[in-house]
Amino acid sequence: MPHRNFKIPIGPQHPALKEPECFQIVLNGEKITSSGVRLGYNHRGIEKACEQQTYIQDMYLLERVCGICSHSHATCFIQAVEEIAGLEVPKRALYIRTLIAELERIHSHLLWLGVAGHEVGFDTLLMYTWRDREVVMDLLAMLTGNRVNYGMNTIGGVRRDITAEQIPQILKAVDILEERTKYYIQIATEEITFIKRLSNVGVVAYEDAIRLGAVGPTARASGVERDVRHDDPYAAYGELSFNVITDKHCDVYGRAVVRVGELMESYKMIRQLLANMPEGPITVKAPRKIKPGQAFSRYEAPRGEDVHYVQANGTDKPERVKVRAPTLANVQAVSHMLKDGYLADLPIVIAAIDPCFSCTDRMIAVCDENKSPEILTWPALRQRSIEWHRSRGIDFSQLNREFKIPQGT
Amino acid sequence: MALLKKIVTWARIKSPWIIHFNTGACNACDIEIIASLTPTFDIERFGILLKGTPRHADVLVCSGPVTRQIKDRLIRIYEQMPEPKFVVAVGTCACSGGVFKSCYNVKGGINEVIPVSVFIPGCPASPKAIIDGVVKLLASLEETPVAAKG
Amino acid sequence: MSEENEIKSQLVEKFGFLNETTIPRARRLFADVPLGKFSEVFDYAVKQMKFSILCTITGLDEGASLGFIYHLARPSGIVLNLHTKAPKEKPVIKTVTGYFPAADAYERELADLLGAKVEGLPEGNRYPLPDDWPAGQYPLRKDWKVEMLDGKGANENATS
Repeated sequence: MPHRNFKIPIGPQHPALKEPECFQIVLNGEKITSSGVRLGYNHRGIEKACEQQTYIQDMYLLERVCGICSHSHATCFIQAVEEIAGLEVPKRALYIRTLIAELERIHSHLLWLGVAGHEVGFDTLLMYTWRDREVVMDLLAMLTGNRVNYGMNTIGGVRRDITAEQIPQILKAVDILEERTKYYIQIATEEITFIKRLSNVGVVAYEDAIRLGAVGPTARASGVERDVRHDDPYAAYGELSFNVITDKHCDVYGRAVVRVGELMESYKMIRQLLANMPEGPITVKAPRKIKPGQAFSRYEAPRGEDVHYVQANGTDKPERVKVRAPTLANVQAVSHMLKDGYLADLPIVIAAIDPCFSCTDRMIAVCDENKSPEILTWPALRQRSIEWHRSRGIDFSQLNREFKIPQGT
Repeated sequence: MALLKKIVTWARIKSPWIIHFNTGACNACDIEIIASLTPTFDIERFGILLKGTPRHADVLVCSGPVTRQIKDRLIRIYEQMPEPKFVVAVGTCACSGGVFKSCYNVKGGINEVIPVSVFIPGCPASPKAIIDGVVKLLASLEETPVAAKG
Repeated sequence: MSEENEIKSQLVEKFGFLNETTIPRARRLFADVPLGKFSEVFDYAVKQMKFSILCTITGLDEGASLGFIYHLARPSGIVLNLHTKAPKEKPVIKTVTGYFPAADAYERELADLLGAKVEGLPEGNRYPLPDDWPAGQYPLRKDWKVEMLDGKGANENATS
């Protein structure tokens, strides 16, 4: 059979409508020869809205740029505003911000582990990790009043304090999570099916990770030792002792190893934060109008470096707010990762950069020269990918049967 | 708990098929929807099945505000669903546009575009609220005669 | 001498016009670069001074001109913010995708949202606006209002 080049747009698609896709794939047989990225389908116009609202309103808006990294965006933004205003945020507030930040990282990485499991057909991993995630969600709800979108920050500090009664509860939860994470480390290092499925997939060499501007666990899995908490410390990170987790595998497996390693570091950091929590106020008085100035703030969100640039003009509304979320930096490396790989590996490769969930929840149109286009949904592509690997000996059915699906917390 | 038992029995017979669609907002609601499927909340005990195509779905579970570019796709998906069909708007954005109402690329809530049966507010809507809303929808279906699924 | 001050000294030694560079806090420098000299300064900062990370590019509407801030960082955590500007009648800048492939998305954003013209940017999809966005409308410009979209197609915005 002669080789055929198929062009496959992967993204929101309907044969009757011209619409933006996420990724455009050119196939040769089962292998991807090239791909392009088409973004912007969920462009909302947030930066413009920021100029028309006050700083506090903007913080609530920016919390909702992404439902996983909401504290990341809120904190990154408020840091820039506080810098322009020349405010000295009380240490206790910085510690509390850091505590919420690490709890956010934990829930995000556990979420990712579950999603990765789901993409390869290892559904019990999804059930396990999202069950554990509920421990964190309950903690966050206790500390902040909400499971997601915590509204914890204000200009000059935080809005809620940690009480003495909450501390042992946090420590107990961290102990539980640490035990369970050790189990995931075991899976990652000992389960052959898991290792085989994720190895040599989505490869990005060290030099390419740097050249393409990858950030976060995606870059660190290629051995790039880059973490804003360590390189450009903010909040309380300058006073914490922790390791930057890197890995040399350069593939999806490495990205899993890095995230699981980061979970363990987060538990350590939370214990340090609680043990050394400074006394004092949780906020300092902030002006409503911010004097003219500019600041560039960086933050290590669970997915990588998040940056906010803010310019103030002396009023109660910013002159300019610019946001570059980590996924935008990583998605441009995806084309490189997909090249020369199999279509069947596409779901896990894209999932491995930990993009916004909705990025991976799209319809796919398969264009074959000889047939009329048919629509495949992402779940169907995932199913095809699972079956493709199953026919080559990589099968999670056994593991799914072995694990008891836990009921309740 | 008698009503709940009635609903559970009814749902097991009816087994509504759901399609989930995110119009591209922050994903917090989508994650809470998926969380409802996990063992802690376990919405599947109501017999709800998550399907991949609108052509087989009874209920469209929709999150996110409607943006300019997603509007036509949303209408298309709704049109592909067979009657009788219902729409659940999950989250404040789906109900009214939420914090994004002031953004230039956002039109508003889901009901600007398609009729909504159930509004579940929250930012995000918690799994408990989602289950509550879905159960209320099922209970209302029991009151209205529904054509048997072929 | 702190690393920040060393960086400033090195820059000023090579480019005298950068003597107004400010160091507002640890690990941050802000410099204003005339457009005509920008390529040279950028090349020097990236190639000779090892600013190997481009965090992003911020575009600004500065009234008579469009401003562009290139946020460059080093592994040691120091960020050098290079600001330049081009007149609105001729908002032309050169691509830096030769140094940083990821600048592709950042530069397309400048074109879509502010109307900048980026020379040398390879063929590709626009970002972030949809394909049916009316030409000549740049949402991040200060004089752009959402009502300007109403002229195109039916007015589907909710009333009030």
